[in-house]
Amino acid sequence: MDNEKTLSSLSRLMFVLNLAIIVFYSLLCLTTTLRVCDSFGAYSFLSSAGQIPPPPWRMPLWALGQYLLLCAVSFGKNRWGIERFEARLLVCLVEILLCLGVTASLEFYYSGAALLVLADLVHYVRNSFYRICFTAALILLFSFGRYEILYPLTGRIPFSAYLDYYNQTVRSFFAGTESLLICLNVLLFVLSMILLFTGQKAENSRIRKLNKQLNQANERLRDYAFELERMAEVRERNRLAREIHDTLGHTLTGIIMGSDAGLALFDAAPEEAKKRIQVVAQAARDGLNDVRRSIKALRPDALENTTLEEALETMISNFKATTSAEVFYDQQAGPLVFAQDEEDTLYRVVQESMTNAVRHGHATEIHIFLTRRDNLLTIDVRDNGLGGGEDVKEGFGLRHMRERLELLGGSLTFGNRETLEEDGERGFYILVSLPIREKEEEA
Amino acid sequence: MKRRLGIAALAAVLLAGGLLWGLEARRESVLTVGVYAGSYWQTPNGDCYQILDDAIALFQERRPGVRVEYVSGIPTDDYSEWLAGRILKGTEPDLCFILPEDFNLLASSGALAELDGFMASDAEFDAGAYYEPCLRAGRLGGKQYALPQESVPTIMFVNKTLLESRGIPLPDNRWTWEDFYDICARVTDLDSRTFGVYDYTWQNALYANGASLFSEDGTACCLADERVQAAVRFAKSLTDLNGGYTVTARDFDLGRVAFRPFLFSEYRAYQPYPWRVRKYSGFEWDCVCMPAGPDGDNVSELRTMLLGISARSGHRELAWELARLLSADDAVQSELYAYSHGISPVRRVAENARDLDLPGSFPAELIREIMSTAVTAPRFERSDQAMMMAESAVAEAGDQEQRMLIAQREINVFLNQ
Repeated sequence: MDNEKTLSSLSRLMFVLNLAIIVFYSLLCLTTTLRVCDSFGAYSFLSSAGQIPPPPWRMPLWALGQYLLLCAVSFGKNRWGIERFEARLLVCLVEILLCLGVTASLEFYYSGAALLVLADLVHYVRNSFYRICFTAALILLFSFGRYEILYPLTGRIPFSAYLDYYNQTVRSFFAGTESLLICLNVLLFVLSMILLFTGQKAENSRIRKLNKQLNQANERLRDYAFELERMAEVRERNRLAREIHDTLGHTLTGIIMGSDAGLALFDAAPEEAKKRIQVVAQAARDGLNDVRRSIKALRPDALENTTLEEALETMISNFKATTSAEVFYDQQAGPLVFAQDEEDTLYRVVQESMTNAVRHGHATEIHIFLTRRDNLLTIDVRDNGLGGGEDVKEGFGLRHMRERLELLGGSLTFGNRETLEEDGERGFYILVSLPIREKEEEA
Repeated sequence: MKRRLGIAALAAVLLAGGLLWGLEARRESVLTVGVYAGSYWQTPNGDCYQILDDAIALFQERRPGVRVEYVSGIPTDDYSEWLAGRILKGTEPDLCFILPEDFNLLASSGALAELDGFMASDAEFDAGAYYEPCLRAGRLGGKQYALPQESVPTIMFVNKTLLESRGIPLPDNRWTWEDFYDICARVTDLDSRTFGVYDYTWQNALYANGASLFSEDGTACCLADERVQAAVRFAKSLTDLNGGYTVTARDFDLGRVAFRPFLFSEYRAYQPYPWRVRKYSGFEWDCVCMPAGPDGDNVSELRTMLLGISARSGHRELAWELARLLSADDAVQSELYAYSHGISPVRRVAENARDLDLPGSFPAELIREIMSTAVTAPRFERSDQAMMMAESAVAEAGDQEQRMLIAQREINVFLNQ
């Protein structure tokens, strides 16, 4: 903000300085012409100049008039805050033309107004093509404006012709004042350019920093979202577990009580006992149905209508499509037809491993091997990500995985691939083994 | 609100502009003329504005709405400075008289408007009516910037009394350097202090030998040219006759010198007629053409007063009309014989026998010949300085060819700086 303020006061200073310079040139040419005429030096002035100068009143009138117009356009454009592209372009063109007009009215003795307009426009033009064009045009005007060798070609009198009228002392005074003013203008221009660019650099690094902070916040937000989802899932699962417990507990209590009563009645009233046991069997059957219904509510949608094999392939291809990671899936475990709870667990294990690899390890390659020996199914997931650090801690996801597997009698090992003797690569590995139950239950 | 304000401002500007334009259109056109007082030709002149006044009266008959103004009383010597000052201030007159020595500066600096367009489009204008050398005096770089108003050639003054005392007849208009040298040698008598010629330099001899010191555009010097060298040698041989004595103007006034280059205007002002001013009372005199060199003819140097139109004038059409009147109108031009001492650049006026009240030695045919062959010396920005360099080189080295070549190269370097 402070930078901005300094810049605008520098620009104002440049406008005032250029006004002074234009007044200097106009007055010098005007008074010199009048003095030459009064001191009967007109003929020798004309013969040494070899060209007729414009009428002396024209330079102050035109140069100052156009310069004031230029000031008005420059301040007006900042005040009105024009936004349309064409309008901004028009303003720039008007400024450049007025600058050319001022320079031409000053007979090209002074072209520093080009620097003024350049400093004014360089941060106003947003399109880089036009910025380069305008900059080139203005620098050309500035550099070649006062190229005295071109003066005879264009029929102009060089400024030195006016200075030559005076004696050595006065001439050097005027020449010194002239170069001082020009230098001051260049100095102010350079200063404002430095301020502009350092300001832009600071702004850029501030933007970069903010961007980084935003990215971090986004990352955290994503983690929270995952956590939240997980917690909702846990809550839901607990609710279901409670429900299962309530129904299953109720049913089992009924079964125990019924079968106890049946045992007690077995000898005294076999008929009654038989009836009781029939009731118990019915309760057990109802209980089983209840349990099945509850479990069904836990199944992933993907497994609802398709086989585990298809569900895994769909999930992996979706995963590849949504993340940039490459997944190599190697299934050598034969037909993947298991009990529902086993299928669910396998599905969740593969899903969780891939998610972890990308989310925590930033892996770009994931290898998944499925193998089966007799009734033991193993899943080997390896990635090329960052790994788990020095000491691998079991997070929420891994703990969950372990709990699920342990419920089914399986096991989970994980860690950095460097710690594996046969591997040693960078990355993370997860090894799951699950004993498959006999299939008859399914029927 | 803002838009309404803008429209109001625009309307105000348009109204003011329209008002100004209307006032400007109603105002009577004023044509300004720059003119010098007295005569440029070193002769007394009583009615120096008469020709201009008559021309203005004629002009206003044709253009009743136009007023013509001029500043009177600017002496000829100050005229160039006055004109330059007006040009610097941007207030130069629309039409101005241009002295012969100022023409190149004014034309090359862009102060004068090109006239070729006017000359081509004006049906009343006939470039063929002029003597070609007079019209050429207003030409630079192939473009016409000025019209001739009055011309004065250089001729040779002859002291008839001195020649008669030696029994030498007056030379005719076809005489040569040989005749000239011969007469000078016969007249020169160091004991009685009579001399052949005064003020005749190699520059006077140049043109009669078909040479010119500078190229027309002023970028080359021809000092080492053989014809120039012949002129230098000839002038030196005449000076050598005087045995080291330097002839002065006093010797000439006392009637001890036979010849002197003379402006035609002086001849007309002081010509030996009883009702004219008698300047040289102690002897009878007359004038003849310049003597012809071996490679040239009886050619004179010509000076021409010119009329130019300011390049920045707002009334160039009107200025052209007045310039044409002053330059080419028979009635205006024939007044030159009454109020000035030059020769009209217009053939039919110059050769009109009724106006030409000259003695027998200058009949109309001779005037035509002098005027058709006369040469205008190139005058350009550095010509005065270059001429001085050439003069000092000749004075130091005389006719040594090697030294002349060196001097020529130096002058060329100076001219092309």
